[in-house]
Amino acid sequence: MAERPEDLNLPNAVITRIIKEALPDGVNVSKEARRAISQAASVFVLYATSCANNFAMKSKRKTLNAGDVMSAMEEMEFERFLQPLREALEAYKKGQKGKKEASEQKKKDKEKKSDAEESDKNKDEEEEEEEHMDEEPEVENEAEDEEVEN
Amino acid sequence: MAATLGPTQGADSDLDPNIVEEETRGTDGEEENSQQTGAVTAPQSRLAKLPLSRIKALMKADPDVTLASQESVFIIAKATELFVEMIAKDALVYAQQGKRKTLQRKDLDNAIEAIDEFAFLEGTLD
Repeated sequence: MAERPEDLNLPNAVITRIIKEALPDGVNVSKEARRAISQAASVFVLYATSCANNFAMKSKRKTLNAGDVMSAMEEMEFERFLQPLREALEAYKKGQKGKKEASEQKKKDKEKKSDAEESDKNKDEEEEEEEHMDEEPEVENEAEDEEVEN
Repeated sequence: MAATLGPTQGADSDLDPNIVEEETRGTDGEEENSQQTGAVTAPQSRLAKLPLSRIKALMKADPDVTLASQESVFIIAKATELFVEMIAKDALVYAQQGKRKTLQRKDLDNAIEAIDEFAFLEGTLD
């Protein structure tokens, strides 16, 4: 989709909203400033990912997990983020649990239908899983939820 | 999402109403929901404002990253949100020093130069 990672921008409307909510009323943001912040956010993601990945590799894991990201935040001197992130993670996990149960229900129904059809579709689904990662309840441990093929 | 397409005067006018550019036409909300096709409309789609699919795409750009858990993608999304808030606030200080009510690019540059945590951004912005 994008040629360079730097070209992958986060949606302007969302960035704008986040900025607006952080600043007092009456303050405006120029287009250039907004663009720069959006770019900075993308760079942040790349840097945080790289940093987190180092922690994963140190522990000889191939899967980047939430703990790695937390360690990365510390490393990047964003300790102030740790507490809010932990809280957000808790809420997220609870939500995931609910989704997982609902999804398992769906799976049971699916199995009752044609198994044959599924095995053919598997190849397609594998690619789809990458996109719909968030709805797929990857078992108990968040093992390979994400297949990053490069 | 109402697109506030006011007259884009641009520049430094204090009464600068240019929010504009709702290019995503509400896709953000759609993007988040599309990841949970049919399944429970889970609250965590509201926990992260930034679309996880886009965050994921960025993470994938790193050749050293093999796999990433859903949680890690979410946490990075959330951290990015906190980052945006932080940098906006820090840049605002410089705008205020310049007695402006509009945040400008140079305020960002000043913040990046002055604040240690933002050192990684040096040289990365167009």
